[in-house]
Amino acid sequence: MNRPAAELRRDGLVLFGLAGWALALPGHASEFVASLALTCLMYVALASSWALFCGTSRYLSLATAAFFGLGAYTSALGLEHVGWWSAIALGALVASAVALVMGALVLHLRGTYFAVLTFGMTELIRHAITFWEKSVTGTVGRVLTVVPERETVYLTVLLLAVLAVATSIVVRRTRFGLALAGIGADEQRAQTLGVNTRWVKTLGFALTAAFAGAVGAAMSVRWTYIDPPTVFNPFIGFQTVLIALIGGALTLWGPLIAAVVFSLLAETLRLQVPQLYMMSLGLLLILCVLYLPGGLASLRWATLQGWWQHSRQALRERRARRDRRNQRNQRANRAAGHDDEDSDD
Amino acid sequence: MTEPLLQARAVSVRFGGLTAVDAVDASFHAGELVGIIGPNGAGKTTFFNAISGVVAPTGGELIAGGQRLTGAGPHRFAARGIARTFQTPRVFADMTVRDNIAFGLQFAGRRPRRWGLWGAQAPVPWALRTPESILALIGLGSERQDLAALPAAAITPSQQRLLEIGMALATRPRLLLLDEVAAGLTEAEVEAMAQLIRRLRDELDLSVVWIEHAVTTLLRHVERVIVLHQGRKIADGPPAEVVRNREVIEAYLGDEMGDETGGAAGDKTRDKTRDKTGDNTGDNTSDNTGQGLNHRHSAGAAA
Repeated sequence: MNRPAAELRRDGLVLFGLAGWALALPGHASEFVASLALTCLMYVALASSWALFCGTSRYLSLATAAFFGLGAYTSALGLEHVGWWSAIALGALVASAVALVMGALVLHLRGTYFAVLTFGMTELIRHAITFWEKSVTGTVGRVLTVVPERETVYLTVLLLAVLAVATSIVVRRTRFGLALAGIGADEQRAQTLGVNTRWVKTLGFALTAAFAGAVGAAMSVRWTYIDPPTVFNPFIGFQTVLIALIGGALTLWGPLIAAVVFSLLAETLRLQVPQLYMMSLGLLLILCVLYLPGGLASLRWATLQGWWQHSRQALRERRARRDRRNQRNQRANRAAGHDDEDSDD
Repeated sequence: MTEPLLQARAVSVRFGGLTAVDAVDASFHAGELVGIIGPNGAGKTTFFNAISGVVAPTGGELIAGGQRLTGAGPHRFAARGIARTFQTPRVFADMTVRDNIAFGLQFAGRRPRRWGLWGAQAPVPWALRTPESILALIGLGSERQDLAALPAAAITPSQQRLLEIGMALATRPRLLLLDEVAAGLTEAEVEAMAQLIRRLRDELDLSVVWIEHAVTTLLRHVERVIVLHQGRKIADGPPAEVVRNREVIEAYLGDEMGDETGGAAGDKTRDKTRDKTGDNTGDNTSDNTGQGLNHRHSAGAAA
């Protein structure tokens, strides 16, 4: 693909600017804001890397929670023996290894089947870990004793988020990205044009999983105690998918924008209207699907103008309909013998 | 004779109890223009799917350039220089017309071009160097530059058919498989398509296998015809010879063939041909177990 180099430079600069801003944030913001920023960054990394594979190839994976949890468990177990960065790398490695196996098993299925099976496998892994905890180690969860500095965690997640977006920027311009796009458009056609779809899909899936695993490994220290229901929480997976879809899974910046908007919104709603929090999210999602199917990234000035004109048009039509109805009624009245409205003509 | 580009040895495709392709032998040599005809449900498209790797044959062998490709994925066939189009155009709707062509060039089209088995690396023909040259070759380029930047979904169906051929050409094939590329086109467009196919064959030193329902046009342009009937090959030879073949006349062409070659092609003739075929299938059920889709069709019509 011959995308102009200017576009590459622009994307790089935007990313650089955003990263710098996020880097400076904890220095002068309150602890609450910093923790909010951490959540934002976590979802930026998860949603961007998810969209990198699932968005372009249109394979809807619900396994993010599995990879996140595997990463979290790896670092919880590994931090006692290895350093921080090794634990992160190990988390990524374990998650992508599992994704390779999982991918080889289910990536020949498409659509709903793939989504359901990835979700089922997440549950399987969660229950396997629970079983292992209970029967082998005799515990319910793990207490994290070796925990790095707060800044280190923030920095790591920021780095992962930047890496995820940067990888998306680069992959879009490679043959690998083109192959993913071809798979998304018409997999069999891509095959007949020479794409080894099996490899591309498995590698793409493993790449997504590596990011989720690394993020999980970094985030595990946020809890002082982890157990399977916490880190394999399916909600993490769902939220990632929602963010990517609302933002526009086919776009580069959509998932990033949506991750920030969504995290801030979720936090605000949770604090302001705790009873209606989930309902408002659901409502927003429906509105998004109905009126912004391309995601937030497809929102343009023209879109807003279109909505404005559309609603005015609808209003006009309603008024016209009402007028016609009135006239009809008047005519009916006249025909019935009420001649008192001649002056109207 | 030189080694065939692609050889099918007793290839069969079964779906459950239905045998769509029944032990078909066929070989395609460099530079040939071959037509495949047969009534609906004769297994033409399934045979195509088998020899391009889209479905794995349940029996038999496929050999391309001395290499066994039975059961390999479509990308391996593409890498061996076998390109195809689909009956209904399958273009990448959201990509631009140009990017649709560029796609093939990026994958199967990147492999070195070796014509013979041990042959030296052949230079890529000028017409297949860039997306622009391919667009010009299929008649979607040059003076209509704006077309190249449009999403593929925005061009007309007949342009999409041409684009599909362009996508296949971008894999820089040696053997081009065309599945009913003239379906739904007007008579003038069909003729133009046939001219294009001949031109591609001559200019690019391709071998072309062409499935078509419009038998008359096809017979006028190809050098060899393979006739499939109920999944089996019943004839394989030059058009003039095949139209005189008793079995072919009985199974497919019928008495109308004389009229049709005389120029009275059209839906009416085709319908008659199909009816004739249906009758024959009914008559023949005793000796061949009547597995063809056509048999079911005629049974339904009789009921």
